[in-house]
Order: sequence, then C-alpha cells, then structure tokens
Amino acid sequence: MPAERGTEATIAVLEGTQSSWSLMASELSVLFRRLRTWAMLLALAAIPILIAAAVKLSSHPVAPGRGPPFLDRITQNGLFVGVTAMIVSVPLFLPLTIGVVAGDTIAGEANLGTLRYLLVAPAGRVRLLLIKYASASVFCLAATLTVAAAGALAGVALFPVGPVTLLSGDTIGVGESVVRSLLIAAYIAVSLLGLSAIGLAISTFTDVPVGAMAATIVLSVVSQVADNLPQLEWLHPWLFSHYWLGFADLLRQPISWTSFGDNALLQAGYILVAGALAYGKFTSKDVLS
Amino acid sequence: MTRVWLRWLPAVLAPVALAAAALAGSYQAGAATSLPHKTAAEVIAMIGRADVHALSGTLQQSSDLGLPQLPSVGPTASQGPASVMELLSGSHTARVYMDGPAKARFQVMDMLAERDVVRNGNDLWLYNSADNSAAHMTMPAEPARSAAPHATPTPGVTTPDVVAQHFLAAVGPTTDVAVGDGTTVAGRTAYQLVIKPRSTGTLVDSVTIAVDSASGLPLGVDVRARGQAAAAFSLAFTDVSLSAPDAALFSFTPPRGAAVEEKATPQLRSLPGKTGQPKATAARPTITGTGWDAVMGLPAGTVPNDVRSAPMLAQLTQPVAGGRALTTSLATVLMLDDGRVFAGMVPLERLQAAAAAK
Repeated sequence: MPAERGTEATIAVLEGTQSSWSLMASELSVLFRRLRTWAMLLALAAIPILIAAAVKLSSHPVAPGRGPPFLDRITQNGLFVGVTAMIVSVPLFLPLTIGVVAGDTIAGEANLGTLRYLLVAPAGRVRLLLIKYASASVFCLAATLTVAAAGALAGVALFPVGPVTLLSGDTIGVGESVVRSLLIAAYIAVSLLGLSAIGLAISTFTDVPVGAMAATIVLSVVSQVADNLPQLEWLHPWLFSHYWLGFADLLRQPISWTSFGDNALLQAGYILVAGALAYGKFTSKDVLS
Repeated sequence: MTRVWLRWLPAVLAPVALAAAALAGSYQAGAATSLPHKTAAEVIAMIGRADVHALSGTLQQSSDLGLPQLPSVGPTASQGPASVMELLSGSHTARVYMDGPAKARFQVMDMLAERDVVRNGNDLWLYNSADNSAAHMTMPAEPARSAAPHATPTPGVTTPDVVAQHFLAAVGPTTDVAVGDGTTVAGRTAYQLVIKPRSTGTLVDSVTIAVDSASGLPLGVDVRARGQAAAAFSLAFTDVSLSAPDAALFSFTPPRGAAVEEKATPQLRSLPGKTGQPKATAARPTITGTGWDAVMGLPAGTVPNDVRSAPMLAQLTQPVAGGRALTTSLATVLMLDDGRVFAGMVPLERLQAAAAAK
C-alpha cells in the first residue's frame, strides 16, 4: 500500500498548514482503509462466534467451573458469549492486534519513506505523535467493541436471552447487562492504552515496523508472565497488565469501581512515561526517510 | 547540543515524578496522628461500647505464614480442601455490608469469581460463582444480645471486629496491653491497641488492633509472629462508611440454573483459647493450657479422612514422629496417624508434649 500512503502524504504536503482535525481524520481513514486492520477486526469478531458455535454444537453441556469463566452460563443466556470472548481475548488476541497497530505508527511511516513528508509542518513532530497515539487509541476501542458486539450478536442468534446472573449471585435485566457489557469494553479499551503508548515509544526507536510490533507483543506477554510469578509480588502493582482481568469487578453487585480507577491511574502513568520517551526520541531523531 | 538533552528531560522526569507521587501516597497512608490520650483499659472499653449499627466497607486480608506459595491462577484453583488452604497464604479482598444485628453480606472477591455470604434475619445463604452453587441454612433463633452487629457475628463474615474480639478474649494476666501511636486506617483516625503475650511458649509476638477513635469499631488487626518482621496475618478496612447500605443487598434469591443445597444449621466455630463454647458434635475438643499457649486436641474421627489425605495438605505438611505436622510462623497443626489432631499458636514441641500426655 505504499502508493496509497504516498498520496495521503502528498496531500498533506500540498496543503501545508493542515489542521490537526483533518490530519486526524486522514490518519483514521488510512488506518481503517487498510486490509490488515479489517483482517484483525474480523479475526477478533471470529472469537465469540467460534465460542458460541462450539458450545451450541457440543453434544454434552459444559460443567460449571470447566473452561474459561462463564462458559457454562452461555447455554442459559446468550449475553455471556461477549463476556467470555472478552476474557479469552484479553491475554493474547487483543494485545496482538494493539501491538501491530501501535508498533506500526512511526516505524511504518519511516519504513515506507513517508515520515519526512508528514513532518514538513513546523512543530509537527509532537502533533504527529499525538495524532498517531490518538488513532491507536481509537483502534483499542474499536477492537474491544468488535469483540463485545460480535459476542452479543452471536449470543442472541444462538441462545436464549434473559436476566443475567452477576458474580455476586444477583440477577440484572437485559438492559442493565448491555450497559455493563459496554462498561467492560470501556475498561478493556482503557487497559490497552498503556500498551499502545509503549508500542508508540518503541516505534520511534526503529525504522523496522515488524520489530516494533514484535517487541510490543513480547512485552505484553512478559508483563503477564511476571504477573503470575509470586516471587515478583512487589512488582505486580506496577505491571501494565496487572489489572487486565479486573473488569470482573464490573460484574459484581454493587459495582466495585476501585479496579477501574486503579487501572486508569496505572495506564495514565504508562502513557506519561512512554509518551515522554517517545517525545525524547522522536523530537531529537534525524528523520532521513 | 543543549537542545537534545532538554528533549530527553521529560523521559527522565516522568518516572521520577511518578515514583515521588507513589512514595508520598504510601507515606501519607501510614502517617502517625495525634489523638487525645487514652489508656489501654479505656480503648478496650471503647470497643465494648462501640455501637455501630450499619456499615459498608472493603477489607484487605493478607497472610505471610512462611508457607510455600500455592498456585492461585484462575477461580478453579480455590475449590475443595484447597479453598481452606488458600486463606493461609496470599491476600484477599472482601466487601462487607451490615445493617442491624440480623442483616449482613460478605463478598470475597476472587479473580473472575466471588464467594458470598448473605444473612437476612434467620436465613443464611452461601453462594459461589465459580461453580454457580448456592447453599441455604436457617440460623438458630437466639435472642439478640444487642442491636450492634458485632454482638452476634454471622458465620463466615470475618471482619476486623470479629478477629479483634477473639484476641481480646485472650487478654488476661498472661498479657501486656498498651496503646501505641495514633494511626489512620481507611481515612479514619484510630488508636492502636498492642496486645503482647507474656508467655514465651507461644508463637505470637504481638497483636495490634486499630480502633476507630470516633466509634470504637476495630478497623484493622495485625498479628505478628516471633522472629518475623512482616505481619503474619493482617486484616483491615481499606475504606469504610458507617451509613446504612442499600437494603436490596440483603435479599438474596439463588439465580436460575444454580445448584441449591439445603444445609443443616451452622455450628459456631470453636477456636483455640475460647473455652466453654457449645459444640453440637459428640466429640468435644479438649483444651490443654490456658491463654496464648493453649493447645486444642480433636479426638480421632473429627477431621474427615478426605481432608487428611488431600494432596494439597501432603505438600504443605512434613512428616514427624507418629504423623504429619503443618508448621506456620503463627500456628502449628499436628495430625497423628491414629486420627487425633492437635493445634495451637505454639511450637510443634508443645503439641507433641500435649499428644504424649494423653
């Protein structure tokens, strides 16, 4: 797709003093017109569909406590498909797609030779970093909403829908359960913001996008492995993946907002540190390509 | 060239600023506060007078008993006999809601799962989300001794209050009691009552109870073991409010599809050091010694065989002469091959001496 990207960049150069909003819009349209982005969203949508189909076609019911959490509830209530799919995709599939998008932000442009065209505007580097990060954040939200929406649709299509049992044993109506599903999607999108910032920072250090993508994904796996080692307990609250599964607190009655707040604070810290690193590298970098 | 290092300055300052903010936050949490002077007897009297009718709060419990870490990945790790064992290691978060003497809800928040105890009047419900099972019990209708919830604890609801009452019951001639520096727990100023056993025969070094300066409610309990710097057991509120919680929290109906079991009336737990408690079982435990170095002995057949032969237990215990022993920094359990079990907050030698005396 270098040709297409080149056209975008040329337009940016020709217009010269492009506003931040139109730059953001063109950035998003490039991201969401890419075949790769759609392939990743489709793969994410396939997770809840696979789960729903597997449970539907299986001849014997799932025993409680077996498989991923809530799997046994799916046959009684299709709305659990989305929740189960989100639990399944948080450790690997979502970080994988975020790693690809965030790792590509700067290094991808550098690799295609389009970075210098994007930087002709004065004070353009900080703005470009912010716009790249904003579009990666939009992808975080799009990816989690894709899983939630595909899960809801697959669940409604294949299973009965009714009141939802929360972790506390209380039941809530369908309307409130939709609100809670959206809250979970928001929680996961926030959870992935720190990883996006790390991916952006790594992306400024290299001209090889695949390297930045791989490094981001490897970091997300390392963080989760470290989170499971009791010997590193002192480190756990500082790992960006520490609260990734904490969205279960939104399925309690009453909702426990503590982990939502802690998670947001932790991700903000990572955005600050990784953002400062990205700023340091990118503003002092010799852009040759 | 000065411009280049200026651009790297935020990357250096951001982590430093975050570390400073984190340090300031943890320093503030444990800051000493000055409170009007009170003697130990006055603080104990405050706990006795505490009339807290309703509360809702979050509890943090952690144990560091010198046991090997148990695998605790996912909700499936805490089922069967392992669920008892996991209370001995690691940390837990729970929420507690109380309104009057007969309404209580206790939620142990596990990773992607939850265990609930709901009491409404004489109905007691247990719910476990990991296997979607519920159990119902009817509490014996006993006259409420007081309107405050701490007078009639609900089984399974472990608050700092309940734990503090247990240790306060041990206060006697074998114990030194003092009032330490004022502290802050869950944003409330609190007196620190330090209970120190005089006896050297026990593993307990000291028990610190944080008592809310306004209401007299125990807000936290720390138990320290001899020769261990970190608290061996600690249970404290991280936030608490003394207003009445939503009444809907106490009405529980088992969810559709849950396995519901009707259980017999719960027995009051009998703890070592607390003698004279009624026990429904025919086999009564024997208590040797008094106060902190008391040893509780259970006759053969009290502890079911499947608990004794659980693989988790085999991992944690070590073979000793005539049986197996579970040694922690705070308490010791001796399981003899003939079925008798001895337990106490004492070293293993004392348990063996008590076993040999029979």
